[in-house]
Amino acid sequence: MTEFRRDPIAGRWVIVNHEEQIDPKEFSMLYPAVQKVNQDKCFFCPGKEWATPKEVYAYRPDGSPADAPGWKVRVVPNKFPALVIEGDIDRRPVGLYDMSNGVGAHEVIIETPDHNQTLADLSFEDMAEVIKAYRARLLDLKHDKRFKYMLIFKNFGLSAGASVEHDHSQIIALPMVPKNVHEELLGAERYFKYRERCIFCDLWQQEKQEAERIVYENSQFITFCPFVSRFPFEMCIMPKEHMSCLAELSDNALTEFAKALKDALKRLQTLLNNPPYNFVIHIAPVQNEYSEEKEYYHWHVEIMPRISRVAGFEWGSGFYILPGSPEESAKMLKQVIW
Amino acid sequence: MPELRRDPVVGRWVIISQERSKRPKDLIVEINNDSANVSPACDFCDNRNEYKEIVSLRDPNNKEKFYVMVVPRKNHLLKIEGEVNRKGRGLYDIMEGVGAHELVIETPEHTLNMADLPLEQIDKVFSVFTMRIKELSTDNRLKYVMIYKNYTPDISKNTILHSRSNIMAMPVNPKRVKEKLAGAKKYYEYHERCVFCDIIRQEKEMGVRLIEENDDFVAISAFAGRFPFEMTILPKAHNADFHHCPPEKFRNLSAILKSVLLKLKVGLNDPAYSIVLFSAPFRRGYLSRPSSSLNEDFHWHIEIMPQLTRTAGFEWGSGFYINPMPPEDAAEFLKNIEVGL
Repeated sequence: MTEFRRDPIAGRWVIVNHEEQIDPKEFSMLYPAVQKVNQDKCFFCPGKEWATPKEVYAYRPDGSPADAPGWKVRVVPNKFPALVIEGDIDRRPVGLYDMSNGVGAHEVIIETPDHNQTLADLSFEDMAEVIKAYRARLLDLKHDKRFKYMLIFKNFGLSAGASVEHDHSQIIALPMVPKNVHEELLGAERYFKYRERCIFCDLWQQEKQEAERIVYENSQFITFCPFVSRFPFEMCIMPKEHMSCLAELSDNALTEFAKALKDALKRLQTLLNNPPYNFVIHIAPVQNEYSEEKEYYHWHVEIMPRISRVAGFEWGSGFYILPGSPEESAKMLKQVIW
Repeated sequence: MPELRRDPVVGRWVIISQERSKRPKDLIVEINNDSANVSPACDFCDNRNEYKEIVSLRDPNNKEKFYVMVVPRKNHLLKIEGEVNRKGRGLYDIMEGVGAHELVIETPEHTLNMADLPLEQIDKVFSVFTMRIKELSTDNRLKYVMIYKNYTPDISKNTILHSRSNIMAMPVNPKRVKEKLAGAKKYYEYHERCVFCDIIRQEKEMGVRLIEENDDFVAISAFAGRFPFEMTILPKAHNADFHHCPPEKFRNLSAILKSVLLKLKVGLNDPAYSIVLFSAPFRRGYLSRPSSSLNEDFHWHIEIMPQLTRTAGFEWGSGFYINPMPPEDAAEFLKNIEVGL
């Protein structure tokens, strides 16, 4: 029996197929396990700092100078940016179309100096340093008044869109709010206006009550397979405390987030044999004193393993077909011992 | 300088990245020889009796011979029996998987790419689409019929070696369709003109994104396309519903579709692609009210999306796309490919 499920925030419908048994082993036939083969050509490795644009942030426990080896986390502008940092936005029409210059920031967060290490394999402490880099960059980019939104994401493995195999995540600062975020904001605002509660706070509490989709929980964070997942083994990590942006994390909460993120990535890696994946950190747009987003938006992470092919139907309709059910995905992920 | 462009209908922003810009030949698909040794069987031909015919177009002189046939999809996800049974569970909305999930076998022969079908065969495919939409529209539980096609030249991934499309009839309107409807309605409310008619007019005037045109249709490279070589085919005459398109126009539709598909095949070395047909939903609920402007504000069209680049995660997460191929360059490239139609 299949059923339609609707995402309460974005309004998207997904077909969930209960009858289909999903077997992680079968999925791993569909994609090659992510492997690292090009260390000698890598420009993200220590000793090649000259090959990247100058760093904008680094964690250097040994106090080494900028753009030299000795770092544990390093943030540099993307050498092939999708957006450029200089210039005015210059919004203008072309007949009925709207366009503007591609002004924005596009930076790369190199998560580890070790070419062969993956983000999932970092220690909690090192993972926390990566998240501190995210936090620092968000706080810094916020000062540029041209930017309205900061998007942090990671593409792991070729089929997830990574073009460099050395583990890294990316941050893009945009002069407008992306569509999916805008839709989430609208959905959350609608709910808040009527109930005067945050929909995300209600959502994780319902998940906790129903329990069958919970994968992991610690004092500050909860990880679950969303009721309306688009992909098998999709996960969401959410702070339990209401917080609109990752930049608001205290050091203590940041450590708990590092634990939750590592846990989720380890479970994926173990269950699905190092699959390609993407994660996206959803945060509220850059706010001013009049913004209300702080009250109704709640930051969270979406982790999407890229193990099933997405075809034209999904593109065209925004309508997804999920093999298996999120409940079953959660059960398998929960059983993983890493 | 890269550009940010906004889709005038759904409001999606796309980065047209000239810094990362690629020439068409950088995107040409490499031939994968791995599958050349495999000779997979065609499930439709081999297990013919497992596919129960729903409807078909046959040779009037030889009833044994079919031109186009509609069959239920094996492992269909939606079933036609039962009630929709909408219910809530806490925050969440759920309903039963009621609907239709069908395959349109577009040719009796093992021709995989629709580009290689003769024009009169493609005409027949369109008449079968029309028949199915009309038939499904009488079912009051259904709101939308999505017709789409996923083509891949890799025969090891195909279980049926015939060009085919999928029909999915649903009790809800899909999200992207709703967005298009909302955008078109908003534009109409202010301008009292159809946004798609305005797009056609502007694209014909500017010319830089126009790929092909005949008496009844235009094929354009979308101003804010998400993918390299993304194309849209629009009928010049305003019409909200595909199934109201006069059958005598099918020949021109077949001609323009075949031509652009051949251009992809020749110019980019037979890439995989998807096609989605967007038509107005059935007039249920508020759409059935006389005050609804759906007939005036929406305009059916076809989107063709070649699969040449990998979509990275943030595009899924944000709905924000990076297209490394400026749509004007794509149009220029495709326009100059001779396919001799």
